Amino acid sequence: MRSFSSLLSCIAVLSSFAAAELNLSQPLLSKQVLASTFKPPQVFKNVNLVRTTNLDKGFPRETINVIIENVDAKPQSEYYLPFESSLISRVGGLEVKDKKSPEKGALRVEVVGFDTASSTEFYLIHLPTPLAPKEQQTLSISYSVLSALKPVPAQISQADKQYVQYTFSVYTPSAYLTEKQKTKVKFPSADVPDYTTVSAELNAEKKADPQKQGSTFSYGPYDNVPAGAEELVSVRYEFTKPIAHASLLERDIEVSHWGGNLATEERYWLSNLGASLKNHFSRVEWQKQSYMNPPTTALKALNVPLAAGALNPYFTDDIGNVSTSRFRTGKRESNLELKPRYPIFGGWKYSFRVGWDADLNTYLRKLSTGESYVLKVPFLEGPKSPEGIQYERIHLRVILPEGATNVKYSTSVPIVDSHTDIHKTFMDTIGRSSLTLTAINLVDDFRDRDLIVTYDYPWTAGFRKPIVITLGAFVVFTAAWVVGNLDTSIGKKKVA
Amino acid sequence: MAPKKAQSHTAPSAQSASSTPAKSSSKSSGNALDAQEIVLGVWNKYVEKTPQRVKLLDCFMLFLAVVGALQFLYCIIVGNFPFNAFLAGFSACVGQFVLTASLRIQTNPENKKEFETTSPERAFADYVFGSFLLHFFCVNFIN
Amino acid sequence: MAAPASDTLLQQFTGRKTRGVLRFVILGLIAGAAVSSRLFSVIRFESIIHEFDPWFNFRATKYLVQNGFYSFWDWFDDRTWHPLGRVTGGTLYPGLMVTSGVIYHALRALTLPVDIRNICVLLAPGFSGLTAFATYLLTSEMVASPSAGLLAAAFMGITPGYISRSVAGSYDNEAIAIFLLVFTFFLWIKAVKNGSMFWGALTALFYGYMVSAWGGYVFITNLLPLHAFVLICMGRYSPRLYVSYTSWYALGTLASMQIPFVGFLPIRSSEHMSSLGVFGLIQIVGFVEYVRVQLPNKQFQTLLRALVFVIFVVAFGGLVVLTVSGTIAPWSGRFYSLWDTAYAKIHIPIIASVSEHQPTAWPAFFFDLSMMIWLFPAGVYMCFRSLTDEQVFIVIYSVLASYFAGVMVRLMLTLTPIVCVASAMAFSQILDTYLDAKIPEQGAKENGSSDPAKVAAAVLPDGLRSTRNPLVGIYSYASRLTVIGASTVYLMLFVLHCTWVTSNAYSSPSVVLASRLPDGSQHIIDDYREAYYWLRQNTPDNAKVMSWWDYGYQIGGMADRPTLVDNNTWNNTHIATVGKAMSSREEVSYPIMRQHEVDYVLVVFGGLLGYSGDDINKFLWMVRIAEGIWPEEVKERNFFTQRGEYRVDEEATPTMKNSLMYKMSYYNYNSLFPAGQATDRVRGVRLPAEGPQLSTIEEAFTSENWIIRIYKVKEPDNFGRDHQSATAFDKGHKKKRASKRKGPRVLRVE
Repeated sequence: MRSFSSLLSCIAVLSSFAAAELNLSQPLLSKQVLASTFKPPQVFKNVNLVRTTNLDKGFPRETINVIIENVDAKPQSEYYLPFESSLISRVGGLEVKDKKSPEKGALRVEVVGFDTASSTEFYLIHLPTPLAPKEQQTLSISYSVLSALKPVPAQISQADKQYVQYTFSVYTPSAYLTEKQKTKVKFPSADVPDYTTVSAELNAEKKADPQKQGSTFSYGPYDNVPAGAEELVSVRYEFTKPIAHASLLERDIEVSHWGGNLATEERYWLSNLGASLKNHFSRVEWQKQSYMNPPTTALKALNVPLAAGALNPYFTDDIGNVSTSRFRTGKRESNLELKPRYPIFGGWKYSFRVGWDADLNTYLRKLSTGESYVLKVPFLEGPKSPEGIQYERIHLRVILPEGATNVKYSTSVPIVDSHTDIHKTFMDTIGRSSLTLTAINLVDDFRDRDLIVTYDYPWTAGFRKPIVITLGAFVVFTAAWVVGNLDTSIGKKKVA
Repeated sequence: MAPKKAQSHTAPSAQSASSTPAKSSSKSSGNALDAQEIVLGVWNKYVEKTPQRVKLLDCFMLFLAVVGALQFLYCIIVGNFPFNAFLAGFSACVGQFVLTASLRIQTNPENKKEFETTSPERAFADYVFGSFLLHFFCVNFIN
Repeated sequence: MAAPASDTLLQQFTGRKTRGVLRFVILGLIAGAAVSSRLFSVIRFESIIHEFDPWFNFRATKYLVQNGFYSFWDWFDDRTWHPLGRVTGGTLYPGLMVTSGVIYHALRALTLPVDIRNICVLLAPGFSGLTAFATYLLTSEMVASPSAGLLAAAFMGITPGYISRSVAGSYDNEAIAIFLLVFTFFLWIKAVKNGSMFWGALTALFYGYMVSAWGGYVFITNLLPLHAFVLICMGRYSPRLYVSYTSWYALGTLASMQIPFVGFLPIRSSEHMSSLGVFGLIQIVGFVEYVRVQLPNKQFQTLLRALVFVIFVVAFGGLVVLTVSGTIAPWSGRFYSLWDTAYAKIHIPIIASVSEHQPTAWPAFFFDLSMMIWLFPAGVYMCFRSLTDEQVFIVIYSVLASYFAGVMVRLMLTLTPIVCVASAMAFSQILDTYLDAKIPEQGAKENGSSDPAKVAAAVLPDGLRSTRNPLVGIYSYASRLTVIGASTVYLMLFVLHCTWVTSNAYSSPSVVLASRLPDGSQHIIDDYREAYYWLRQNTPDNAKVMSWWDYGYQIGGMADRPTLVDNNTWNNTHIATVGKAMSSREEVSYPIMRQHEVDYVLVVFGGLLGYSGDDINKFLWMVRIAEGIWPEEVKERNFFTQRGEYRVDEEATPTMKNSLMYKMSYYNYNSLFPAGQATDRVRGVRLPAEGPQLSTIEEAFTSENWIIRIYKVKEPDNFGRDHQSATAFDKGHKKKRASKRKGPRVLRVE
């Protein structure tokens, strides 16, 4: 079974390289294949549901707080959350917490339903303790939807305001009957020229729907919405900010015990999903504009906050160093300010790499139990900005020293694939063990999540390299000496 | 050009010696007798003085010259279609010829004072090295 | 400059081994200095490939590393010279790429996965270290004193004439070729000295390597025969010469024919005929010598006369027949320009338009060679005093190279090694004389060490003899001190000069420009890469970019987009087509651009920044080259005003103002300034108040300092209008005016 899923994931990884534009999340996550006519058993009902859609960033963030109740006769622990199959591939970072005790951490969640015929697929939430009949529990479900904002109009002038459109269902998707529900939409500003109104008939309070309150709209409340009901609405609002989207982020973390160094390198394939330019880019206009510094859809700079003690940062792309970066070091935090070679307007791309070093001691700890080490690094670093950045796919590779064995990891970030293999680089004989983790559809909210890697590293392994190098040098010298002697002897014979 | 020189060079060494007197006699009118004398003198001296080993080398050089000349003739008459094949073959002849000539010069005891540092063995090693290179290039060039 | 000083120190060590080790260490230090002085550009900028040609070499190397040797050999590149393509594998000198490829794989095998870019960047400095070593070997063959060799190595290591082509990042053929040149000469001298087939074959081997690396191999092809020829003429024929020359020629020619780009040239082209001729000559001479030994004197003379006559007639007749029948190619254009510097200007503008093909300006000699320029004749003179075979070589080399260096800037490179060798010989002579002389005063009985000094002093030129005259007492001390002090000062100055020149003149990548901010910090102007990267990221992968050929390699390397023309310049007509498109009116250019499927046009404009190497300044070359093919349609005269001035301001000619290049350069430039204030900072003129209008192309991207401007060629109009009227319509002009304009213009197009 395991090999099968890893094979699947391999195929998925391969195909994702072929079609980098696509999100191929379903096959990676699925473990359970359900019949196409699958319908979750109606063992729950949603007593009260409040959904908050936050549109501050370049991707909508949904938070659903729901009180669920077991209506079955037996205790139940499997709660299904349905998504349209076109949507589920763009849903990222779905996390479910028990509202009452958030400190317990996230509940176990998996995607079920690998069936192309069905238009609906499900997230399966495992409740930690089965819910007894008639019992209630409050869940807090949060996720973000990537590539969900569509600029309307799709082409604007360089100095125009950008409007984006978000389409969603006012009825929160649910596999169960929802007795009462409400959706709040938080806009970045009050400039919302277009939005769908829902007829007051449907509204439980028979009021105009939606209700406006500054930059917040609220749809609902609605009563007794049956399972699977959908009512699509669209909102179009001003969002004159870049929509930064990384189709791929490769992140390498290399541990060097000898150098006491933790080297990080990140490679980004970045694009701006905002509205593209109606006319071409005009430098005159851009230069004139830059004095006033108005909001723009172009991505001008990226700020990468680094942990204190980061050293030797670099910012390069395929054709060399990008000289327009600045590095500020502070006591508590360092800040790497990256300025791409050109402002990235909607539809434009920019790929680059950044890297830096850090002192290993702040990240690595030796366990008292012999030769084991614990490495604690952030799963995701990278730029931080008010409008956010979305990552379609992240490959994180932790390269451990040569000879490290028994590699284990744990992290709270949803991982779709992981494997360990061998990475050969400078002066390696057997190669270094490297742990590769793949995550999809992450957003920059996951910046502060940690990755903990434990591994065994016997102290003898540390001496392999110097010994090999010494031996190599010795062999070379001996060979030179032997050849030198040989040569002269032949010469003598000949001359004689 | 090259084969003609080669011919004239090897002329005194062996049977085809007649080519040289033919030329010189025609140009230096009336000196036919003189020329014959010269050739005879050279020939006798050659037969007397040259060591056996060097004679062997001369034979080989003559053979190379003949092969080279034949190739050149073939090229002129039939055409030089696979030009690099012809060139490779021809250069192999010329190259081998000059290398052999060099070997001959180096091993010739008369030139001892010119080549103080080179022993015959060394010369032969050089010869092998040079020939090896030459044939490597030729084979590579022929495709 | 520790070489001479420590060399005298060497005198105190008696053990030969110690000396050998010390010499080795000194050479190591010299190589280190040579490498490190070339790293200015990496330190000041970054590890980046420089200029134009290196970008192609870099791209080819990447291709080699990725696709393997055989596909590199058969590489047909359809991303250049669109739509013709280029048989790249057969039209380049592969030596450089193969060398870096081998280094790359060797390092990889040693588990050192170094980035191929870093190998390419550091190849030239690395080889310069080897060149210093080769110079040492060469000089040591020339004179007995090892100090001259060390001095020559040091000179070679830091002389600007060589550094100019071998700083880190200047990944060009010359990077390895100069090493190969010097080393081949060393092997040749060794071969001539020993009369050994082994050395001759090695010479041929390195000659083959040189052929694979640089077109300048022709220099060797002609210099070695010339050396042999001169030796023969001087009556210095020896069997050694026969052995070394014939083994070199037979093997070397075959080796050179292995390179597809060279192919059959060695037996076809006139440049190679001299070596063939000397090869024939040496056969004859060898034969004659052989016969002479066998024959009494008188008989021999008769034979000789006849033989010489026959052979001359046959050889000359053969050459004439072959040349007339066309078997031997006529001299190539670049070659003619070596003899007649005005030739290229008249006949081949494309060759003349390259700055490095211009005749050398006098100051350049001093700039590149500094004090060696006056030491050099002294060294050559010394060679005349004891004219051995190898010193004849120096004399010939210096005469030839001096001439060529005067004709073409680029060939300064071939002059540099011999200048270093000769001046090191002269300088070490001076130092040996004046430094060694101290020893007899401390221990006057020591004959051994004082003798060579006196002998050396005796051969000094007359001018120096006066300083030598007072043999004892305080005078000689003073004079010695003066001379030694002066030479030390000269050496110091030389080092200073070299360092200064290297850091200031030769270490700029030219892809990246540096300027100083008022507060003294360095500001980097990175417009080239900004625009190239924009092209790379935001245009379709097969978008064709039209630009002047100078930027072809850079676009191929950095922007990774197909180009119409590039620095290879193999097809003059194609370049002229681009020149015509640039220098004609839009209505003429547009069909040309559509025909060649051009998507983007790239121009370089320095007006805002005051960057003088821009396209407007190169424009006349475009016009000239286009005129060479279409004299009816493009006329250089029309770009000059009545008074014969080349202007871009209000008084520019209509042809100039309407040319695509002018329009693209100044489009929208006005709006950056208050009305009527637009100035071009390169030409230093005020521009017309009304900026040019474009209708068939539109601005797509302009870099931060306006150095690079990229235009997109418009698709044909949806309504079938021509672009002029469409633009006019969009601007809200009255239809009448638009149609009025339309009439005559359409006629002209068709």
